[in-house]
Amino acid sequence: MADEILKVKNLRKVYDGKPAVDGISFEVKKGEIFGILGPNGAGKTTTLEMIETLREIDGGSVTVDGLNVAKQPNEVKQIIGIQPQTPAFQDKQKLVEIIELFAAAYGEKVDPKVFLDDVDLGEKAEDFAENLSGGQRQRLSIATALVHSPKVFFLDEPTTGLDPQARRNLWDLIKQVRDRGVTVILTTHYMDEAELLCNRVAIMDNGKIIALDTPRKLIKQLLDRGFKKEQAVEQANLEDVFIDMTGKGLRDV
Amino acid sequence: MTLKQQLRTVLIFTKLSTRRFFRDRLAQFFSIIFPLIFLLVFGSFSSGNNNVSFKVALLSPAHTSFASSFEHQIEQSKTFKVDRSVTTLAQAKDKIGKSQIDGIIVLKDNFGAVRPGQKYPSGQISVLYNHTQSGTGQTLTQVLQSVVDGINQHFIAVPQPFTVTGQELNAKSLTAFDYTFSGLLGFSIIGLGIFGPVNVFPELKKQGVLRRLHTTPLKTWQYFLATMFSQSVTGILGIAVQFLVAIKVFHLKIYGDYPEIILFTILSIFMILGIGLAIGGWAKNERQAAPLSNIVVFPMLFLSGTFFPRFLMPHWLQSITTYLPLTPVIDGLRLLTTEGKHLWQIGPQLGLIAIWFVIVYAIAFRVFRWE
Repeated sequence: MADEILKVKNLRKVYDGKPAVDGISFEVKKGEIFGILGPNGAGKTTTLEMIETLREIDGGSVTVDGLNVAKQPNEVKQIIGIQPQTPAFQDKQKLVEIIELFAAAYGEKVDPKVFLDDVDLGEKAEDFAENLSGGQRQRLSIATALVHSPKVFFLDEPTTGLDPQARRNLWDLIKQVRDRGVTVILTTHYMDEAELLCNRVAIMDNGKIIALDTPRKLIKQLLDRGFKKEQAVEQANLEDVFIDMTGKGLRDV
Repeated sequence: MTLKQQLRTVLIFTKLSTRRFFRDRLAQFFSIIFPLIFLLVFGSFSSGNNNVSFKVALLSPAHTSFASSFEHQIEQSKTFKVDRSVTTLAQAKDKIGKSQIDGIIVLKDNFGAVRPGQKYPSGQISVLYNHTQSGTGQTLTQVLQSVVDGINQHFIAVPQPFTVTGQELNAKSLTAFDYTFSGLLGFSIIGLGIFGPVNVFPELKKQGVLRRLHTTPLKTWQYFLATMFSQSVTGILGIAVQFLVAIKVFHLKIYGDYPEIILFTILSIFMILGIGLAIGGWAKNERQAAPLSNIVVFPMLFLSGTFFPRFLMPHWLQSITTYLPLTPVIDGLRLLTTEGKHLWQIGPQLGLIAIWFVIVYAIAFRVFRWE
């Protein structure tokens, strides 16, 4: 177990006397896709933001690749990439320029075209960001988060509001990033997404982690407790029908 | 990151945001066209010829040929602007009461008639003016007196042992437009330095653009420096256009040194921009930014000599307003451009700008928020 890239110990955040994150601990292994699940207000985003150096840590400790987040925020920023919940870019700026800008912010000099091609936006290189669709914007945001070859990549609800084709495309992208050796940590409301993408998931509620395991084991534990679905499980669902009829091709090009 | 890398980051940010400016019609409007409109409006108020002229009503019950040619001379003269719409004394008095004319010239009955036993015409002119404009009225009387003296001399040559002649002395004297122009330059620096960031930053915070940048190792000073550089580029451009218009349209004469003027302008933009960075950087949203920027900007607009020169203010007010941030900017610009001073001659202005620079950036760094 030498390969934990992220270690969270007793992490706490208090807002107005109420704990938003209540002493959680977990570890993420190098090269895995780790999901943080939970209803709204469970503390997912706050947890993520503390790890990302964006929120002050009220208690406990976080280390990313051996760096203490509270003590070395700038070093941590240099090795993590962040995809915010709603990516925003300044208007009147070309995609190539946005990549150049973010690379510069990390002190890097890159070929923007390579990064845009990686996320299938090569043809849009000279367009302005405000003319992109929601899915394209998410992909651009992923490209900007990877310009400095981070070791850990955080995504906050990356597929919220996307159509089924764009979601599948984004899943493929996330897997490709993982295959390059980047550790991925994401939050999501979609259980199908977590089940398909994540090696392990933590389920949060009221600022605490109430379960942490692989999706398969969590399901098995539930079944072992004698759980049965009211409706017989069929071999396909409505989304399968939708994808079968409309195809997997992206619609936003 | 090494310092060199960090400065490279600043230059790339500068380059990209300057490039954005050239695509942003709205930003161009506010930093170039908007100040230009002010220049044209205020410029045409304060320029024009500097010769004294009087708006008068001319009433002449006399019907002699001398009277009509005298009237004609007055109407042709540049010194008098005759309001032809006035034909009766009552109308004239009404207009003078509203300060629409400076005085009434009345040629008395039989003005210019040759009296029996005389070889030349004679007559009396009376000048009527309001007590509120007695200065103007007296000058008007004097002017007419000298006109009449000239005529008298023509009919009866009298030796004149003493004479007075006027001569123009100082070619560098300041015109009203010189004051207006440096004031308007100050106004446009306020526009781009304060209203620019105050409008843009809260918007960037709302969209989360600044927050996203904050997830990178980008430092506040890098972001500030890039903003200072790009605002200077666009600011210099806007001010250059104003200079061009002032020179071409209003015949502004530049006695100063352009590199010095440009350097001083950049320093001024840096300092004033610090105020904008402090307000825009502190404010979470437009609702916080707008009132605060108005509180800061309006006193400066009215008290630093933007729209009317400070020397018109009472002495005690002048001594206070000397220390406002915009005052040394406007004074310095005027001293450099139209009074032909050099940078080393405007130490007090540079010193004040330096002091304000330290103060506003100390505040700006302390209160800046990325979200």
